[in-house]
Amino acid sequence: MTTTFPPSSSAPPASNSGGLMAWLRKNLFNNWLNGILTVAISAMLVWVGMSFLEWAFTVAQWSVIPANWQLYFVGRYPNDQYWRLWAIFGLVAILSGLSWGILARNTAQLFTKTALICLGLLGVFGVIMPAPLTSRLLFLGAVILLAAAAWGGRQLGHSVAGIGRWISFAWIASFFVVMWLLAGGFGLESVSTGNWGGLLLTLFISVVSILLCFPMGVLLALGRQSSLPVVRLLSVLYIEIIRGVPLIAILFIGQNMIPLFLPQGMRPDNVYRAILGLTLFSAAYLAENVRGGLQAIPRGQMEAAHALGLNPALTTMLIILPQALKISIPAIVGQFISLFQDTTLLSIVSILELLGISRSILANPSFIGRYWEVYLFIGVIYWLFCYLMSIGSRRIEASLNTEH
Amino acid sequence: MTQIGTETVQDTMNGSGDDKPMIIAQDVEKWYDNNFHVLRGVSMTVTKGEVLVVMGPSGSGKSTFIRTFNALESYQKGKIFVDGILLSHDVKNIETIRQEVGMVFQQFNLFPHLSVLQNVMLAPIWVRRWPKARAEEVALQLLERVGILEQAKKFPGQLSGGQQQRVAIARALAMQPKIMLFDEPTSALDPEMVREVLDVMRSLADSGMTMVVVTHEVGFAREVADRVVLMADGLLVEEATPEVFFNSPTEERTKKFLSQIL
Repeated sequence: MTTTFPPSSSAPPASNSGGLMAWLRKNLFNNWLNGILTVAISAMLVWVGMSFLEWAFTVAQWSVIPANWQLYFVGRYPNDQYWRLWAIFGLVAILSGLSWGILARNTAQLFTKTALICLGLLGVFGVIMPAPLTSRLLFLGAVILLAAAAWGGRQLGHSVAGIGRWISFAWIASFFVVMWLLAGGFGLESVSTGNWGGLLLTLFISVVSILLCFPMGVLLALGRQSSLPVVRLLSVLYIEIIRGVPLIAILFIGQNMIPLFLPQGMRPDNVYRAILGLTLFSAAYLAENVRGGLQAIPRGQMEAAHALGLNPALTTMLIILPQALKISIPAIVGQFISLFQDTTLLSIVSILELLGISRSILANPSFIGRYWEVYLFIGVIYWLFCYLMSIGSRRIEASLNTEH
Repeated sequence: MTQIGTETVQDTMNGSGDDKPMIIAQDVEKWYDNNFHVLRGVSMTVTKGEVLVVMGPSGSGKSTFIRTFNALESYQKGKIFVDGILLSHDVKNIETIRQEVGMVFQQFNLFPHLSVLQNVMLAPIWVRRWPKARAEEVALQLLERVGILEQAKKFPGQLSGGQQQRVAIARALAMQPKIMLFDEPTSALDPEMVREVLDVMRSLADSGMTMVVVTHEVGFAREVADRVVLMADGLLVEEATPEVFFNSPTEERTKKFLSQIL
């Protein structure tokens, strides 16, 4: 019997998409049960959507948002010092743009459709946001700076070798500049943390806690794997004790008990105590995420490094840790997202971050009962930042993939 | 076939080197943590430029034995000298010896997060403290010798098993070792890739490298080995030239082993 093979083709067969009707039939109405479910669920969705729109346009009183616009974003930061916050915003826009351009220097196109849509949305937000004209113009200016810096970063990325290292230094240096601009001192009027608030404070606490808890978590994970019994025991003790205590308890201890033990002059600011609590808490969870990555590295990697003469420290730094961190990226970013959301607990210990300031706005007699409007608004803000982090995580994962 | 180390042709003309012992193992005994007596008093000497092939059934302790030569495995009794240095538990000593002894593993163990070129350059830069330019030059030369030059920018996960193992050989050679250990280098390869790796090893042997090879490749042992030893149950059973080993072994255990693999 002769077998005839199909002729070899160089392209995969075209997927036969038979138009909208075929798609509907295949995915939504392929049997009577699914047909009923589709109809029932669509009806429910339409009803929910209509009710929401009706509420949003007829019942809801959105004036609580524009009336407190500045409180949501910067709390009680003194009005005449706003230029410092705009300077920070501009600096971050420039550095973000440069980093974006440098990272994308080898792609075919810098301003892809997605990038243009995002920039466009930022621009639209800048135009319609309920703030004074100067604020809107400054915001639009920052968006333009971002785009220009991205274009410039791409050019620099092509012409200057080792630009990636410089941009990392710039980020580190910018942290100190931001701290100076925020808190003042050294020639600027000082603004105490009690006057920071809203999204500004949420972002400040999250970013600083993330930056501090990451190295601490990595060290704890390595400590837990250490061959030195004392180091291992201390790491395990720390991780297990912290993981056995709820975050809110740690925050209460930080806010209410630490001041009792310290003399008046040495009591740290309550924002810094909150950062300390969040950092100590997240580091324990982060350590477990990194440990998962460390344990996934085959033994052969360490043996190969040792066989080449690398000492244990170099083996960890060059071979084990980079691979372990790469594996743990989704879990680590998940932990960062939790940390960001956990900052809302600070509203209970009377820190006026985004949720705290919203609660204080709701306590204002003129805005009583506006829960839905306020919580929906800040919910969207929290969602936006969490979503950005998860997109970032996926981008990093994709760029580190060395399999294909 | 790839050419390795044409500059050391003089060595090959002296036959198997100048008889300087590179590895001396004396009554080495090892117990695993579960008290299994894996090495039960093994003595062996490898001279400079010699190619020694270690054969034996699985579980005989042959891999464990060669892994004691660069202290990937510890041992409890006996002595091992590598290039005249006693292999003790002193960490300093261990790192000195590991720089002189290259190792190639069954599973290649390339570093997946580094490119092929970075894999080869890593140890010379960080352990030998070579400037980057010199490390890169040597790495590219070695990659050319093992026939992987055009893949230098790729990552290990993008190469075939045979290519990965050749990179692993280049990576070990980049440290300019005096001794190369091969722990079943072709056992994890698809059959059609065994040849390319053995060819590289053969030309390395021709260049006068001192080699200890754990392998089941009878053809390689016959053609390339200066000596073949059989290990079984943690003991060295027979030690002979390839002709004697494969054609007229003296020990019953060797005959039984050969009847099973040939």
